[in-house]
Amino acid sequence: MIQVAGKQLPWYEGMTVSDLLDALKDPHPYAVVRINEQYITQPNFAKTIVPDNAQVFLIPMIAGG
Amino acid sequence: MPDYKLKEVKILNYQRPEIVKGYADQTLYVNLSDQQIEIKPVAAEIKKTFTGGKGYNLWLLWNAVQPTTKWNDPENALCIAAGPLGGTPIYPGSGKSIVTTLPPTTASVMDSNVGGYFGPYLKFSGFDALQIQGKTSKEIVVFIDGINQKIQLFESAGLPANAYELSAILTDHFAEGKPRNISVVSTGPGSKNTLIGCLNFTWYDLKRRRARYKQAGRGGIGTVFADKGIKALVACWDNVTADTNKPADKTRLKNVAKLHSREIAELDPKQNEMAKIGTTHLVTIMNDHDLLPTHNFRFGQHRQAPNLGQEVYRRLFDPGFDGCWMGCTVACSHGIKEFVPFSGPYKGKKVFVDGPEYETIAGCGSNLGIFDPYTVIEINFYCDAYGLDTISVGTGIAFAMECFEMGLINETHTGGLELRFGNRPAALELVHQMADGKGFGQILGQGVRKMKEIFAKDFGADPDIMQDIGMEAKGLEFSEYMTKESLAQQGGYGLALKGPQHDEAWLIFMDMVHNFLPTFEQKAEALHWFPMFRTWFGLCGLCKLPWNDIVPQDNKDTAEPAKVMKHVQWYAEYFSAITGNEAGPDDLIKMSEIVYNFQRIFNLRMGFGRRQHDAIPYRAVGPVTEEEYESRAERYDRQLVETFKVAIDGKSTAEKMAILRKNREAQYEKLKDAVYKRRGWTSDGIPTLKTVKRLGIDFEDVVKLLKANGVRT
Repeated sequence: MIQVAGKQLPWYEGMTVSDLLDALKDPHPYAVVRINEQYITQPNFAKTIVPDNAQVFLIPMIAGG
Repeated sequence: MPDYKLKEVKILNYQRPEIVKGYADQTLYVNLSDQQIEIKPVAAEIKKTFTGGKGYNLWLLWNAVQPTTKWNDPENALCIAAGPLGGTPIYPGSGKSIVTTLPPTTASVMDSNVGGYFGPYLKFSGFDALQIQGKTSKEIVVFIDGINQKIQLFESAGLPANAYELSAILTDHFAEGKPRNISVVSTGPGSKNTLIGCLNFTWYDLKRRRARYKQAGRGGIGTVFADKGIKALVACWDNVTADTNKPADKTRLKNVAKLHSREIAELDPKQNEMAKIGTTHLVTIMNDHDLLPTHNFRFGQHRQAPNLGQEVYRRLFDPGFDGCWMGCTVACSHGIKEFVPFSGPYKGKKVFVDGPEYETIAGCGSNLGIFDPYTVIEINFYCDAYGLDTISVGTGIAFAMECFEMGLINETHTGGLELRFGNRPAALELVHQMADGKGFGQILGQGVRKMKEIFAKDFGADPDIMQDIGMEAKGLEFSEYMTKESLAQQGGYGLALKGPQHDEAWLIFMDMVHNFLPTFEQKAEALHWFPMFRTWFGLCGLCKLPWNDIVPQDNKDTAEPAKVMKHVQWYAEYFSAITGNEAGPDDLIKMSEIVYNFQRIFNLRMGFGRRQHDAIPYRAVGPVTEEEYESRAERYDRQLVETFKVAIDGKSTAEKMAILRKNREAQYEKLKDAVYKRRGWTSDGIPTLKTVKRLGIDFEDVVKLLKANGVRT
C-alpha cells in the first residue's frame, strides 16, 4: 500500500508516478509530486518508480520566487 | 570583543503616539549632514492615496529628490517602512520592511523588501516610515528607542566592519538584557567598495541566542547606506501582541489569522516543507524543467544540480524554528551552524550562516558552474557579512566567467585569476576582493552594466556580444530564473519597474510548463494582475510566501488557481480587520495600481520609464551562441517551423539563429504593446492622463511631467 494525499491506495511492482496519476483521474496538471522526501518533476513522472509504503504528496502548484 | 565607542551627538525625546488601526500617522526624518531629527505627520490624503510601506517611501523620496539627483548626492533619501499590517504576530509573514532609494546601479527608484524585526519595531516606536537624508564623513549609529521614547545619534569608533560581528555587538549593546527587543540594520565593507551593497536586517533567534539576519539585497541599497555614513540603524521595542497594531476589529483579525496560520501549519508539511527546507526545493524542480540558470544563463539544466538541491540542504540546515518574524508559520529562514569557511578572515573558524535560499544557490552555484554546496554556503556567508547582494554577485561573476571563457578578457585583466566556470577558489577570491575594493573584484563590484563599459573601453572587448550575454536590464542584474522559453516571464523581468527581479511577476510555470497563457492578451492580463497584487504586499509590510507557496487543498479546482483567490480574500479581510477600511480583492489591486503607476512616473521623472528602458538582453530571449542553439535544436527548429512558419531545410545554425532572434524579439515588442495597453499606458510605456486621473495621482507636477513627455490624453 501507499499513501497518496492522506489516502491509502494499493501498490504494485513497477508502478510509476505517471501510472499513479492516471489511476487518480485527477485532471489537475501536476508538475511536481513528492515521494517521501524526494521531489519528482513532470519530465520524470514516467520513469520514476513509486516504492511500496511510500508517502506521496501531490504538490498543487509551483509558485517560484 | 573589540574596544568600541559610541558617543552621543544628538538626542530627541518624543512622545510616542498610540498606534491606531495599524498606523502611527507620522514619519521620522533624520538628516545626517546637520544631525537634524524631525517628526513629521502623515497627511490624511497621502495615507489614503499611498496606503503605506512602499507607497509612503515613494512619496517621501519623490519630495526629497530632484530629476538631477544622483545616488550619492546628500539629498538622496533612504526610506524604510513597514506598512499598516506589518508587525502583526498572529498572521503569517507579517514582518516585512521595505527599503526605497535612488541606487547606484539603475539611477532610478529601487525597492527591496526584507524580513527581520526593524520595520515593525520602527512603527511601534511611533513611525510609519524612516527617511534619512544628508551624508557625513563620520560613522553614525541611529538609535530609535520606542520604549524610552528617544531618538539618538551616536558617532561610533572601533566597531567591526562586517555585519556578522556588528549585528551581534550592537544587539548586545542596546538590549539591556533583552536582545529580542533589538533589531539592527547594517551593511559591511562590500557596500563601501562596490555598487552592489546590501543591507542586513536582524531578528533575534531565542533558541540559538543570536542575532540573525535577512537581506534587503537589490540594486546597491547598502551602498547608499554606507555612502551616507550610516554605520547602523537600531530599533528597540518591547512585547508584541495582536493588540500592538490596535486593529479596528480584533475578533475579525484573530479569525482570519487563525485560518491562514493553521492552514500553513497543516499543509506546508504536505506541500513544499518550507518550514524545513526553505526555498531549496526549487533547485531540482527548476533544473528538471530547464529553468535553473547555469553558466551565465546559457543553459537551464545540469546533471550535477542535485548536489545543490533540497536533499543536501535538508541535512545541512540546523533544525528548529526559523521565522524571521514572530509567529510566522512558514518559518523558512534556515541556517547552518558551525560552518567552517576555508577562505577569508573567518578561515578555520566556526560561524553560523543564514541561508542559503534558492536565489543564492542558483546565482552563486549553478550559474557559476559550481555544484559544491559548501562553496555556495561560504559565498553566502561572506556576501552577508561584507554586505554584498548575492544575486548581483552571482550574476556578475557569471558574466565575467563567460567573458573570460570567450576570450573577451584574460588573466592580465583578472589579476591572474583563471576565471573559468566552476573555479570555486576564484569565485571566493573575487568576493573577498569586492569587499576590499581591490584587484579585479573592484571592477566586478561595479555590476554588469559598468563591467560591460569597462571591458569594452579598457580591454577592447566586443560590446555587441557583451550586450547579448550581460544579464542586466535597467542596470540591475537578473535574478535566477531562465526566461528563454517563457515570453511572459521575459515580460515579468523586462517590464518590472526596478529591473529584472522576480518579485513583480513569476509566470514561468503558468506560461511555459502549463501553457495557461497562450495569447498575448492573456500574458498581458497576467502581467497586469500579478505585479499589482504582489505590489500590495510591499504596501502593507507583508511577505508574499503565505499567499501562494502553500495553497488550499481545493485551490486546484478553482477558476484561476495561480491567483489563489481564497487567500486573496483572506488578505482583504486582514486589511479590513486592521485598518477598519472595508476592502475586497479588487480594492487591493487598486491600492497597488496607484503606487505602481506612481513609481513608473517616478522613473520617467528620473530620465527613464519609457519603452526603451524595458529592453532585455538577448540571452534572456533566446540562444546567443550556436552551442546554445544546438543543445536544444529540436525545440528551436520546431518553433521556427510551427510557430514562425519558416522553411529551415538547408539553413545553417547561424541562419536559423538569426531568424529565430528576429521573431522572438518581435514577440517581446508585441508583448510590450499588449501590456502597456492593459496597464493604461501609452505605446511608449508612460501612464496616460486618463490613467493617472482614474487612480487619483493626477497631482499638478505629475500631469506637468506627463505633458512634458508628450502624453496628451
